[in-house]
Amino acid sequence: MKLKPRRGLSMPDPLVSLIDVVFFLLVFFMLVGRMDATAPFDVAPPISVLGEDLPTGGLTVSVGADGRMALDGVEFDKPALVARLAELHESQPDLLVRVNAHGGLRLSVLLPLVADTEAAGIGDVVLVVTPNPT
Amino acid sequence: MTSLIDVMLILLVFFMVTSTYLDLDMMPMVQRSDEAEAPAGSTAAAGAPLLLQLSSDGSVRLRGQVLARDNLAARLAELAAATPGLRVLVLPSGAADAQALVGLIDAATQAGIADLRVIRPEGGQ
Repeated sequence: MKLKPRRGLSMPDPLVSLIDVVFFLLVFFMLVGRMDATAPFDVAPPISVLGEDLPTGGLTVSVGADGRMALDGVEFDKPALVARLAELHESQPDLLVRVNAHGGLRLSVLLPLVADTEAAGIGDVVLVVTPNPT
Repeated sequence: MTSLIDVMLILLVFFMVTSTYLDLDMMPMVQRSDEAEAPAGSTAAAGAPLLLQLSSDGSVRLRGQVLARDNLAARLAELAAATPGLRVLVLPSGAADAQALVGLIDAATQAGIADLRVIRPEGGQ
């Protein structure tokens, strides 16, 4: 019996280079990108010229300009949010909370939220800001 | 081989869509070390704190006088230079927005004021 010689997995050169590019892009996005739960509403943090580096980890509390609140992308009303934070603090005493508030949010909403977060036992609360490009 | 390319492409699209590249910074609001630092004797040496009022329109008032936004940092730096270890209390209007507060904190930090506290307005929700 005469077998056909087995053909190698030869592919056209443009396809090989395409795979290389796709692979590089894949690795790039895996390394550089950061997956984060986004709020179910629009949040544009206030602009600051003197912000510090945002620490990684912790929870993100988002607050829209209209006062809507979300914890790691899930919308909560304020009492439920504070209760959830208190629960999480019990299991993680060193919990960091990042408050990602809209720049146009009234302080009558923001400051009581921060105070209630602190009252829930959380000792590290930071406000997310956008660095000033100038 | 074709299925491998398909998987890679799907992964690539997934990472491109789900990744965020926002360059964000932060400003501490509550720090665990506050309690340890607050009772130090520096506050007694600094005397009475300086009270800055942040109005609903974002203007900053000191003893009833509006401080111009343009030279707010310079004015605060003068006050800080005159009183070493100056403590600043910010009394914001509940109707002021977060951007106005952040701008004021920026100006105070630029002026070299290290001890700044924000008073929570009454009647907030």
